[in-house]
Amino acid sequence: MPERPARDEDLVRRYLSGDRAAFAALVERHERRVYNLALRMTGREEDARDATQDAFLTVLRKLSSFRGEAAFTTWLHRVTVNTCYDLLRKRQRSPLLERGDDDLPALEPPPAPDPADASSLSLDVRQALMQVPEDFRAVMILHDVHDLRQEEVAAILGVPVGTVKSRLHRGRVALARAMGLSRRVPTNGEPADASGSSEGTVSP
Amino acid sequence: MTHPDDLLADYVDGTLDERARADVDAHLQGCARCREEVRLAGAAKASMAELEDVPVPFGVTGPVVVEAGKRFEQRGKTWDRFRWAAGLAAAAALVLVVALNLGRGDERNAASPAGASAGTGAAAEAGGGAADASATVPFQGIERQPNVNYDADGIQAVANDASKAVASAEKAGAQTGSGAGAPSPASSALSASERFADAPRPRLCIEQSGLPTDSPRDVLVRLIEAKFENQPAFIAVFAESPGAGQPADHVVVWAVSSKDCRILTTASFRIPQT
Repeated sequence: MPERPARDEDLVRRYLSGDRAAFAALVERHERRVYNLALRMTGREEDARDATQDAFLTVLRKLSSFRGEAAFTTWLHRVTVNTCYDLLRKRQRSPLLERGDDDLPALEPPPAPDPADASSLSLDVRQALMQVPEDFRAVMILHDVHDLRQEEVAAILGVPVGTVKSRLHRGRVALARAMGLSRRVPTNGEPADASGSSEGTVSP
Repeated sequence: MTHPDDLLADYVDGTLDERARADVDAHLQGCARCREEVRLAGAAKASMAELEDVPVPFGVTGPVVVEAGKRFEQRGKTWDRFRWAAGLAAAAALVLVVALNLGRGDERNAASPAGASAGTGAAAEAGGGAADASATVPFQGIERQPNVNYDADGIQAVANDASKAVASAEKAGAQTGSGAGAPSPASSALSASERFADAPRPRLCIEQSGLPTDSPRDVLVRLIEAKFENQPAFIAVFAESPGAGQPADHVVVWAVSSKDCRILTTASFRIPQT
């Protein structure tokens, strides 16, 4: 059996009590997850880089007030999601002109480094995800991509589990529609789209 | 008809207990809307499962780790071990610390690179560091550090330090220059090309390396002549703003070989927003 890796919470304690390498270990352990979460939340590499850096800086700044009431990963996810929200809001607020027209094409995901089949699918999903409202997107990414349980997602986002369930379902439907997967449903007395599915959906 | 919306996520996930599952199945029999939603949700879930992780680009978390180390320094615990930041050894190099904005160059300042503004620039620069007390980011002219040999961490530390200096300069500027006409660093500071005026050779070298030196979005905040990994280098530190006249939000550092003007390394750091 390989030696059991230190728990996150122990690394936090070690860093706070003077072991500088412990923080580097935390970053190394979680950076991939944080970056990919940010990439899917923001849809842009540039924003994902900024969000990742900001999220870890926030964690660093607030580490001493981390009491271990929540799991470290729960907290880290929460910080990351909130950082992405902030960034998305900032991006919305700042007129596109100020960012420069050069940035507009970046709304299209950047070309994938290797043009394998899987990556073109990924691009479609990534693009479509950006059309799903961010509260729904966060739930779907955490649950369906990062494989977190609904209870964990609820803890990260600070919402009831019931809300996670409904956002998850509505978000998935919206994503599928944004990917162009919907088809006309024969209207046998049930309007296909009009009933209750307006929240968070994207018209086909 | 009441739709079992609160169960459909778990239905798609396959986590409903047998009885609830049977209820949903019964409902789906007679409800085209829910059948369609379940089909769509299942397809979306499958698509998301295909998403692959991508590696973290170089240089994203490094600055944070450097920052984490500095806290120790401030607490005075591991001061000695932290000496690497400034680099230790050796002979002469030109390190230019400049925040340059690659690719966004000359939107209004397409002037020919060399010397166009040298006259006025030199005059203004002669006043040295803080040319005025407004929001300009201080610039002390070229710093010659012939015996300092930077490494990648050292360059990163330069970026981190500069971002703090720029942040406090911006803060000071916001306080003293209240009102509509408040000067922002990017607009009121000496332009990058003016700051280069007393350093024609570093400037030429930086231009030759392919970096712009006259973008209105970039303000040269430090210019250092030192070494990078034992190679003579100019290190240029720029404060970079998202648009002309806006407060800078990043610091970018470039080290360029003073021999053949190749880019040796770069580092960047976000400026903390107050």
